[in-house]
Amino acid sequence: MPLDSSSYSIAQLSTQAAADGSSYLEMGLTKIICTVHGPRESPTRSGSSSQSPGAHIETSISIAGFSGTDRKRHGRNDKRTQEMQHTISSAFSSTLFTHLYPHSTITISLHVLSQDGSLLAACLNAATLALVDAGVPMSDYVVACTTGSTASYAGDGEEADPLLDLNGLEEQELPFLTVGTSGGEDKVNVLIMETRVQVGRLEAMISVGLDGCRQIRGMLDRVVREHGERVLEARVA
Amino acid sequence: MPISVLPPAPAPAPFANKPQYGHSLDDDFEDEDEMDIDSLPTGHQRTSQTILTPGQLVTQDPQWMRGHGTFPLEDRNSVTGIHSTLAGTLQKTNKLLSIIPLRARYTPEIGELVIGRIVEVQSRRWKVDVAAPLLANLLLSSINLPGGILRKRTSVDELNIRSYFSEGELLVAEVQQLFHDGSASLHTRSLKYGKLRNGYFLSVSGMGGGSGVVRAKRQIFTIQTRRGGEVDCILGVNGYIWLAKHVAEKEGVGMNKLEEAAAADTGMYSSQNDEIGAETRGEIGRVGGCIRALVEGGVKVEEGTVKRAYEASLEVDEVDGEEDYLGAERGRTVVEMVLSGRG
Repeated sequence: MPLDSSSYSIAQLSTQAAADGSSYLEMGLTKIICTVHGPRESPTRSGSSSQSPGAHIETSISIAGFSGTDRKRHGRNDKRTQEMQHTISSAFSSTLFTHLYPHSTITISLHVLSQDGSLLAACLNAATLALVDAGVPMSDYVVACTTGSTASYAGDGEEADPLLDLNGLEEQELPFLTVGTSGGEDKVNVLIMETRVQVGRLEAMISVGLDGCRQIRGMLDRVVREHGERVLEARVA
Repeated sequence: MPISVLPPAPAPAPFANKPQYGHSLDDDFEDEDEMDIDSLPTGHQRTSQTILTPGQLVTQDPQWMRGHGTFPLEDRNSVTGIHSTLAGTLQKTNKLLSIIPLRARYTPEIGELVIGRIVEVQSRRWKVDVAAPLLANLLLSSINLPGGILRKRTSVDELNIRSYFSEGELLVAEVQQLFHDGSASLHTRSLKYGKLRNGYFLSVSGMGGGSGVVRAKRQIFTIQTRRGGEVDCILGVNGYIWLAKHVAEKEGVGMNKLEEAAAADTGMYSSQNDEIGAETRGEIGRVGGCIRALVEGGVKVEEGTVKRAYEASLEVDEVDGEEDYLGAERGRTVVEMVLSGRG
């Protein structure tokens, strides 16, 4: 299944010079700015955290009030945002080589400028690009996308046709899940589903999601390569 | 100061305008494997011109050893290959393969000259920000104490630790030692090193990768400016730069006279800036602008390029008949002049 958002996605690296790494990602109408600071020494020595053998990954997401269809204030301790922050931190903790940076912190800040579905997936992809730009070692890209199921809820699930990369309206109507992988298709870092769907449909949805992740990996890889070539070109030997 | 208005850049093209990548991902991988490592010249200055990205297979040939920026991974046929963990270029040192990242934070190495800022004062040491993943240590015993270099550190010195360096102050030092976790220990046991004042701080990217300060023969030098006297430049390899009014060196400071020199130099740990004339300030600002233009143009910052950029900026001003800041168009002109002067 070809990835729909590939026709209107934009990604850039090194968008903010002041950060160690930064990226800007559009997946459809979802637009995200990501900055990475660190690895740097943990600001407060709060007991056990400074003794940890590897770097601690902190994620903060700020969702702009104007990002959705209706203007809404998103508080700092919004439960959904907190869960996404935790999901992103744990997704990267197994893929980044944190053991190279003992008792330090890597801070990922995500700013959602506009949201139209696949919010978590877009956050993960933007964070991956920013981490690559920051030069943090990782075993592979972490990439994510959403899949949904089209058939009506009453219909028999087995032959239901899965959808890849939903937009905001589709996410409200259809059951969907977010799958994030690293290392091609070998490793699933994130698998989150908040809606209900027949078990029979799940397998097809996941396999379509994995295929989508593979395509997104290719897109991100190309963005990184093009950026790298531009940097090498500008660099004077 | 005038503001240069840049024309809006066209939005980057969406993915669809380019050849599709997705399905042929594996084939692409195979092609990239064929990178010719054997023909790559060995040495620190030379890297391949091909970009490696995280997760990409570098080689499966067991003759190579893996260095920084790589990790071993077994494939389905349980053949262990060297994979990249960074986006960067390949560097070969004899049989050792390492990936040099396009951009990364500074990693300290022994003997490097760095500029740091005091972050924390502890009982017998300072914690110094040197743009590395961890804060560096500066022990009380590894600075020059006033009253002679060979004086023993006493408990009075420990109590007066803030009179030497306190939070937020800048210093130039050398990396003395590296610890197991990658943090560095600094020393300022030379008259070249110590507290910084009378100047201007500038932060660019350092040795970690990309443009910025590179390790060079001389990191500390003086520029003879046209109107403002001499300006001292200290280029820390961690990307921190200090530009200051030149202070006259005491002539003939040998090892024997070090003590006297240190004793005489009561102002060594003073935090009070001297009076700096407007012209000197202007010239310091000009050198700073030149360095920023160099970084923006992707040129490495070292003694030669900074001096050439300074001369070029004077020429540009003469041609334009006005003094202006060195951004955008004028910055690019300066960089071009620096590059053409090199050949």
